[in-house]
Amino acid sequence: MSLSQEVLQEHLDDPAVLCCRRPAGTLLSGQDFEDPTIFDDMVESNLMTLSDDGLSIRQALGATLASDAEALTQLTPDMLTDSVQKDESALEAVSQIQDKEATPASSKQSVESVPTINSDGTLHLHIDKSEGIDLDIPLGVLPSIAPAEGMKESVSFKAPAVEESIPDKVLRTLVKRDYPVHQVVLGSQTSYADGVLSIDRSLVDQAKESDSLVKDITMDVIAPNARHVYSNTIMDVIPIAAKAEGKLGEGITNVLSGAVFVLTGMDEAGVQIHEFGSCEGYMDEKIRFGRPGCPDDSDIMIRVDVRIEEGTGMERRGPFAAHSACDVIIRAIREKIGALSTEDAVNKEVFKDVRRKGRPRVVLVKEIMGQGAMHDNLLVPSEPCGVQGGEKNVDMGNVPVVLSPNEVLDGGIHALACIGPATKEITRHFFREPLVEALQNDEELDLTGVVFIGSPQVNDEKSFVSSRLGSQIEAMEVDGAIITTEGFGNNHIDFSENIEQIGSRGVPVVGVTFAAYQGQLVVGNPYMDAMIELNKDEKGFENEILADNTLTADDARRAILMLKNKMSGIPIEPPERRWDEAIIKDNQKLAR
Amino acid sequence: MMQLTTAPGLRSEIYVPITPKPVWTPLKKPLSQCKVAFITSGGIHNKKQVPFNTAGDSTYREIPSDTPSSELMVTHGGFDNSDINKDVNAMLPIDRLRELRDEGFIGSLVDTFYGFMGGGGNVDKFTKATGPEIAHKLKEEGADIVLATGGCGTCHRSATIVLRACEAAGMSTCLIAALPPIARQQGAPRITAPHVPIGSNAGEPNNKEMQAGILKDTLDAVEEFDHFGQLKMLPYEYRHNV
Repeated sequence: MSLSQEVLQEHLDDPAVLCCRRPAGTLLSGQDFEDPTIFDDMVESNLMTLSDDGLSIRQALGATLASDAEALTQLTPDMLTDSVQKDESALEAVSQIQDKEATPASSKQSVESVPTINSDGTLHLHIDKSEGIDLDIPLGVLPSIAPAEGMKESVSFKAPAVEESIPDKVLRTLVKRDYPVHQVVLGSQTSYADGVLSIDRSLVDQAKESDSLVKDITMDVIAPNARHVYSNTIMDVIPIAAKAEGKLGEGITNVLSGAVFVLTGMDEAGVQIHEFGSCEGYMDEKIRFGRPGCPDDSDIMIRVDVRIEEGTGMERRGPFAAHSACDVIIRAIREKIGALSTEDAVNKEVFKDVRRKGRPRVVLVKEIMGQGAMHDNLLVPSEPCGVQGGEKNVDMGNVPVVLSPNEVLDGGIHALACIGPATKEITRHFFREPLVEALQNDEELDLTGVVFIGSPQVNDEKSFVSSRLGSQIEAMEVDGAIITTEGFGNNHIDFSENIEQIGSRGVPVVGVTFAAYQGQLVVGNPYMDAMIELNKDEKGFENEILADNTLTADDARRAILMLKNKMSGIPIEPPERRWDEAIIKDNQKLAR
Repeated sequence: MMQLTTAPGLRSEIYVPITPKPVWTPLKKPLSQCKVAFITSGGIHNKKQVPFNTAGDSTYREIPSDTPSSELMVTHGGFDNSDINKDVNAMLPIDRLRELRDEGFIGSLVDTFYGFMGGGGNVDKFTKATGPEIAHKLKEEGADIVLATGGCGTCHRSATIVLRACEAAGMSTCLIAALPPIARQQGAPRITAPHVPIGSNAGEPNNKEMQAGILKDTLDAVEEFDHFGQLKMLPYEYRHNV
């Protein structure tokens, strides 16, 4: 392979393996060694075995081969002429490059002691090699300190120039008022009172008229204790919520708790509306109850089953027609609950978009589907989780769009995507997105916003939207980022490029996705060194159980801890080469 | 001063192969209208041409696509050559490609195929010179699809580098890989993988049915794959005892 000097210096301690056939008497130099980065694959493919008694490249450089040797032979001491005077100049040449190009990371060898922050607010740094220099720097004069390896637990991220704390600035407040639903009745009128939600059956007829692609609709109510009911694939789970005051993301939203809409469907030919996997089957088996996107254990499900025109399930217009029809019914309920009295609310949740000056600025990037067909999402509809007024991310070219955390939690995303059921983020997921909630409530962080970026179908568009994300991150001047993606496969290309766009700007970034066994990443870059696995399936598969492998509060805790570690300069240890549930469990213990 | 609550000892939870950037040219025509090229890093050349240097070689040999297979040979030190010596189609399925053209499965063949010896291949030279040169010549000939076989482990890397250059130049490529993990790690845009040993990457020697099947399935995969990095295992198995 003829390792270049730069590559060679990175691999001095890796096994020395000949790249090509070499005759006896060869004075070994960089051009004789194989690139160690391919060894794992070679060993896995049984093309090579590596023994423990082999030489490192450092040891073999400058030595002479005693006999002819084949390509991919690992060098051992007996293969080199023992009487030979090892030519040290080869290694020296490398060392010189090392010295010349010493990076902060490699220069730590010369720093004997780890920098510490003293109680008097100074940074203590002892450098041994330069004949001993002690530096005591008042932290106040440093605009930013990236703490070095070894400074663990509760490390200082930034030293504000002014000692007194700056008050948090609340940009907007959202109140979600909960109104309980104990019973759902299908009758002749739509109303809510005393825990009973009545829905006018004739709304189904109105819904059928909403789009010519809709051929039939049925609606029924499924009680929590009678869920062993067969269902077509579940396209969405939609909360019933309406604005009482203000616009999306602020003011008051009335939410019916204890009942959710479940949108299911197939086309006239009996084909499920889905792409990669479908969760048709018995609802008690095909839904992971309690996931952020799913109905909870005690929820009543109002199922709206839509039959759409044959062959349109894989086009944008088909699933959109089904969602629009379902929204006709939910809209009628919204009109009735917007004006409910405050006294009837059983619970009140308060959400605040807060800017916390002096805290590390972070951004959450959520990659959503955007590949035409039925991979689409509606952004910022006029009512919570609604359809009307929403902009389709596919029509917007999948470019990154910023929502405030409150806008997300107030139903700012109506999810149309019909990707694999276990990994898709559906409308209810966004309504109670665990990472948005956790970041918004974390008083150590200043959450700047939530960026939604689509995953386009066309390759050129992929690089376009990724590079726009990079520019946006640059303009936001954030100190850290978490990026999530639903689904797996094709969109992992966008995912890795998006991470690179962020990471290459020097912003610590944590990636969150389902990969496990079935979704193993096929592309990657060096910025993807802090990753959170969303899999919950025992065997690591897209198991076609609704929302099983989506982001939970536990996953959010690990992701935030990993980001804080990374921002603080605490190394994230490399993963195993194979998906390993034990690592996730160990991380979870640390994130409790 | 703001403190961040941290906890050392976290491990990254997902293995990430460090791969080159995706490169992708979608296939825009039906196979029956496509002009197909074949390249191999398995050391195939014409018997009259200068043999490859088995200690490492980044040169290539032009092989006219109408060359009788009897005029081809292998020079490669990285694997057992006996299968190719029996039937060169086990590495460069030149007879099968002509049959596929004649039966109309593909539109046509380029005039020139390329052979090189990718064992221990110099990454820099393949990336900067050999790859772009071959890609340029194939593009000039109007190739729509470029198929390749690897050979040894590092041959898979060399073949992938050249295929990536072709993909970047606007051709849809696929590596028929005996060692798919290496093809993937090195960033092959498309990969098919029959269960074959290195040295007969394109199928069992003298087994026309298997060789044609591997080619057809690979061409179908080129049509079917819709994004970078996809891999399809092919249902053909051959084991040879050296």
